[in-house]
Amino acid sequence: MAPVEIRDLHKRFGSVNAVSGLSFDVEPGRVTGFLGPNGAGKSTTLRALLGLVRPTEGTATFGGRRYDELDRPSKQVGAVLEDASFHPGRTARNHLRVLAEAGEHPPARVDEVLSAVGISDAADRRVKGYSMGMRQRLAIAAALLGDPEVLILDEPTNGLDPPGIAWMRGLVREQAAGGRAVLISSHLLAEVAQSVDDVVIISGGELRGRGTLDQVLGGDDGPATEVRAQDPDGLAASLEHRGHRVEREGPLLIVLGASPEEVGAVASEEKVTILGLAPRARSLEAAFFALTGGET
Amino acid sequence: MSALLRAELLKLRTTRTFVTLVIVTLALSLLVVGLSTMLTEGFTEDSVRELFTFDFSSLFILLLGVVGMAGEWRHRTITSSVLAAPDRVRLLAAKLISYAVAGTVLSLIVTAALMVLGTLILSSRGETTLGLADLADVLWRNLVVAALLGAFGVCIGGLLRNQIVAIVGLLIFAFVLEPTLLALEPEVGRFGPTVGAPNGIIGINPVSEGDLLAPGIAFVVMLGWVGLGFAATAAALRRRDLV
Repeated sequence: MAPVEIRDLHKRFGSVNAVSGLSFDVEPGRVTGFLGPNGAGKSTTLRALLGLVRPTEGTATFGGRRYDELDRPSKQVGAVLEDASFHPGRTARNHLRVLAEAGEHPPARVDEVLSAVGISDAADRRVKGYSMGMRQRLAIAAALLGDPEVLILDEPTNGLDPPGIAWMRGLVREQAAGGRAVLISSHLLAEVAQSVDDVVIISGGELRGRGTLDQVLGGDDGPATEVRAQDPDGLAASLEHRGHRVEREGPLLIVLGASPEEVGAVASEEKVTILGLAPRARSLEAAFFALTGGET
Repeated sequence: MSALLRAELLKLRTTRTFVTLVIVTLALSLLVVGLSTMLTEGFTEDSVRELFTFDFSSLFILLLGVVGMAGEWRHRTITSSVLAAPDRVRLLAAKLISYAVAGTVLSLIVTAALMVLGTLILSSRGETTLGLADLADVLWRNLVVAALLGAFGVCIGGLLRNQIVAIVGLLIFAFVLEPTLLALEPEVGRFGPTVGAPNGIIGINPVSEGDLLAPGIAFVVMLGWVGLGFAATAAALRRRDLV
């Protein structure tokens, strides 16, 4: 049983279908990127998972149990939501102390997580004086308080500066390396591409693609190869004759559904001189647009 | 439940609002009692009892309960509260109990202080004072009313969610509508949650000449209001999607 299981999840707000029949798992020790355009249903899905909204149909569970059925939820699940809010008059330390009391975590954890997210020096300042990045770090500190097995992060890099984003990337990888399941939603595709192992793409509340990052980047055509040849027309004709689809980008041939080894073999057979040969990785952005029909 | 209760009490203690409230309530109550005991003559036991019920903590804890619960929506902290305590009914119960405790503590501080001040001034002027048994009788009534109103305020804040609407609405209800009802229809008004029943517990009715409820019955009526408020708020809280 996976640490996070979404099964045929539906959520309707009045006449609006926010999520329709969504199913996917998040595996331990892996970072799963949860991508979709604005209004795709990402936040609704995460909120349904965390028991903040009630699914119309289907289930969203942690190891088969709903969030509100967990014995000590903050020990099992840490969450950072997009609009993490704090009482402006309370200090970061007090905010975490309250959560530590409620979750029955040792008070020493407060200082540990403050230090882990790098805001120890500002711990006794009121939150209303915090920058957006500091608030985000405080939200992450709150999520880490119970040293949970699952981390749910909704747009966690919002408000973080470039060093903060790099820190977040390291944190996410570190958490996964420690065996935790990490589900991270983000609109920063390039950022996600550097951090995730698996990808789930939704649009219009429906699943559009899922798999490992390599599978999603490969697309439906499988691997693609970029090749430059002395006789590009001849090589293109030979490749097409063997059933490969070939596209042109200036002097470059893009061979869809063929690995560099296959292309090299064809060129060798046809005695065409190769000037350059490399696998072509589709960018996550390209995969995203292909799967969501170009919605943003 | 005890962990949640500790967390809610810590929340109360670590915001400036509660400390400010204690200071303002104490200052206002001592001012009223100090001036009254210095400027009035011919006190009777009944008038001294009435004087010692000028403990503003009941009103302020009622408002603090509203502010504390509605503030969860105003500051959007309800999400992190529910994440920490996904059983929303338990969360509401913990909040309700914590404000009842806070009301008791606030009223204990304020009533004790105004009793000491009032008794010192009255005795120095040779006026009637109350014995320990009578003081204790006034004290427990004040404490019970503050506890129940603190809990009731949480329910109102949870139901209305908008802090301004809840506070203005409650002030209009407590200072205009219910006193008017109590004056015009005391048979109905004495069951009211902010004036009628609390006055029944305290045993003093400055609003109307009509009969108050007996303290025991008034206590049960107030418990009923709190229970009703809790049930309505819990039902709304359980149903509500936190988006």
